[in-house]
Amino acid sequence: MKNKIGVFLTLALAGSLLIGCNSSSSSTNTTPSDTDKPTTTTTAGGKRPAPTAAGPKIEGPTVKIGLVASLNGELKPWGDDSKNGAELAIEELNKSGGIDGKQYELITEDSNSKPEQGKTAADRLIGKGVVGIVGEVASGITAQIADSAFAAGVPVVAVGATKTTLTDIGSNVFRVCYTDDFQGPVMARFAYEELRLKRIAVMTDNKQPYSQGLSESFKAKFKALGGEIIAEEFYNSGDQQFNAQLTNVKGKNPDALFLSGYFTEVGLIARQARDVGLSVKLLGGDGWDSEELVSGGGEGIVGGYFCNHYNNQEDRPEVKSFLEKWKAKFAGKLPGTTMGALGYDSVMLMADAIKRAETKDAKGIIAALDNTENFPSVSGAITLKGKGGNPPKRALVVEVTKTGQVFRKAYEYFE
Amino acid sequence: MLEPSLLMAGLDPSALPQQLLNGLMFGAIYALVALGYTMVYGVLRLINFAHGEVFMIGAYTALFVSWQSGYFQGAQGLQRANNPGILILMLLASMIVCAVLGVLIERFAYRPMRKQPRIASLITAIGVSMLLQYGGALVLPVSPPRSILEEVNPYDGNHSISIKPKDAALQTAFTDAQARQKTADAALAAQIKLEGVSSEFDLSEEGKKVNSAALDARDATRGAKNNLDNSGMSLNVPYGQGIMFLTTLGLMGLLTYLVMFTKTGREMRAVAHDFDSAALMGMDVNRIVTITFVIGSSLAGAGAMMCATFLGTQLTSFVGVPWGVKAFVAAVLGGIGNIPGAVLGGLLIGVAETVVVWAGGSQYKDAIAFVILIFVLLVKPGGLLGSAKVEKV
Repeated sequence: MKNKIGVFLTLALAGSLLIGCNSSSSSTNTTPSDTDKPTTTTTAGGKRPAPTAAGPKIEGPTVKIGLVASLNGELKPWGDDSKNGAELAIEELNKSGGIDGKQYELITEDSNSKPEQGKTAADRLIGKGVVGIVGEVASGITAQIADSAFAAGVPVVAVGATKTTLTDIGSNVFRVCYTDDFQGPVMARFAYEELRLKRIAVMTDNKQPYSQGLSESFKAKFKALGGEIIAEEFYNSGDQQFNAQLTNVKGKNPDALFLSGYFTEVGLIARQARDVGLSVKLLGGDGWDSEELVSGGGEGIVGGYFCNHYNNQEDRPEVKSFLEKWKAKFAGKLPGTTMGALGYDSVMLMADAIKRAETKDAKGIIAALDNTENFPSVSGAITLKGKGGNPPKRALVVEVTKTGQVFRKAYEYFE
Repeated sequence: MLEPSLLMAGLDPSALPQQLLNGLMFGAIYALVALGYTMVYGVLRLINFAHGEVFMIGAYTALFVSWQSGYFQGAQGLQRANNPGILILMLLASMIVCAVLGVLIERFAYRPMRKQPRIASLITAIGVSMLLQYGGALVLPVSPPRSILEEVNPYDGNHSISIKPKDAALQTAFTDAQARQKTADAALAAQIKLEGVSSEFDLSEEGKKVNSAALDARDATRGAKNNLDNSGMSLNVPYGQGIMFLTTLGLMGLLTYLVMFTKTGREMRAVAHDFDSAALMGMDVNRIVTITFVIGSSLAGAGAMMCATFLGTQLTSFVGVPWGVKAFVAAVLGGIGNIPGAVLGGLLIGVAETVVVWAGGSQYKDAIAFVILIFVLLVKPGGLLGSAKVEKV
């Protein structure tokens, strides 16, 4: 009898565990139906609550800007690049005289590639009196930073966080990158129109809000175009074995595989896909962007396409002068990922807003950010006025080759 | 809750043998790591939480050895050595370094705590684990630019074991389609060259037609290949994972011999049976504990080297955590302290994970191990092969 009750209890417990997994993943990320809604890029204001806290004032001997970056953990390549980009920007700003006779000061905190540590880092920066926070690259970490910053009334400019609903956290949250509501459709159009792929399987990283959002927007657009999503498999960041999912995918005979996760797992998946005999085109989003992708994915990833913010080979004056400055500072090396340029852009945008702010406090900076029009950044012009924190930006499709990324096709912003 | 009929919908029975094989191959690595947990627990009644970090150090050792010896200065600069001997060297190096690390951890962290209440050792174990994780983060390279796999693993590709032969007519159709695709691709390449553009996406209207033909040919090849693949049935073993599986079996065989048929093995079993009595009988228990750590840690090192080399795992100082957790669950599931139990638990978890994915529940892949653990512990609190002993306090 006692045993029976025990078994019943476990059943209930196991059930709640499974349900718990599900609901926790949807509560931290927002539900799929949320991402199915029309883009928030056009519906400015209204949805975004304004922070009630007064926020810091611009005072003291220096103007402090905080940066949260993953200087350790698996996102280190991005963290390092965004830090280098931010430092380059600060150096340049201070060389040209700083602001109102003051110098800018960059305070960097490590998020260790983890959302909870991102929150701690943001809290620490707020405690140090920064007037604005720049970062992060991953949407999951940025959401935590934005929460802390919202409570304190501090403006945030996200470097590479593309999850669409991120800026709904508050009217203090902005970004310099496009959203997943754009890069998903870009890849869907590229796959359907340029590569003429009809049946695609999707693999989503269930631990990453970014990956979930990107998969949703890709699937929606691809189906709207007339394509077919024949399977969706899930995994968790940190997994190392994808044979089981890939064997399932192979059984469905897809034309291509869309991998919406980060390069750390995408490389492994590409390699193991080849091992199980699945030799189809691989597609993905800006989470692929890193030099480690090819070393991790080997032959399997070569020939894949992904969506990115900018490319070193682009023939625009902003890109060229940025790369000149970068090479001068970092011993002739080019930035390995786009996060170098986006980190630079974020700090430049923040500094520009500080300059334009009518009242020299956080509220003034937030208002100035919200008024940004055609700010010339390395990754393309940024307009935030009336866009609810999400700049409509262009996106590039690049191909993975053995020697790096090769620019293939640019998409101007479309609805 | 899920309806059984819903759960069965869309299942592909033909993929099940392949999935079971995947599960067994992966479970073997869990088992290898779980052995370290279970052996230490058997001898010391201590859960060695630093075991996952020993795994991590093993993976890094493999990486460093591959950097040191995986290349030679050739005519074209640095070339990959591409020599299976290096794999053996990496395996041995990982095992030795891990064994030394395991012994050091035992000597300096656990032995001083042995007379203390057990909770003290447990906390020490967690402390060592964190020390290695965060200490490692300071000094070890992350996501190394040169992957071990690409550089030293000569065993790329896979081996197909045919169960049902493929249709011959479809094979001809596929070969034909391939030939047509080759012609179309060549035409496209010629067109790209003719127009002097960088890729097929920049072609003129005329060129787009050539591209279109190439895409059609690619479509046809894909279709023909799918038809061909679906006509037969075969089991697919990537070389790397085949090697992993066989090596793991070999190491387990060696372990069985060591524990069951040697004097040291008999002593180990005696110490595991009753630590104090074994000491009273004049056995050098410290030597046995050291040997246990040597064996358990070197097995983790072997597993780590193979994962890093054949799966292409990106290394960070936290890479041991998921392995440690899964292997620990496997050890408890099989009955902690019981060696065959750890193997059984590891294989069971490996198979359960792939079967859950096969059944369409890939989002529950990580949860399944714990769900099984809960059920097994309810029915058999000592684990599958373990014996539940009431502890007298």
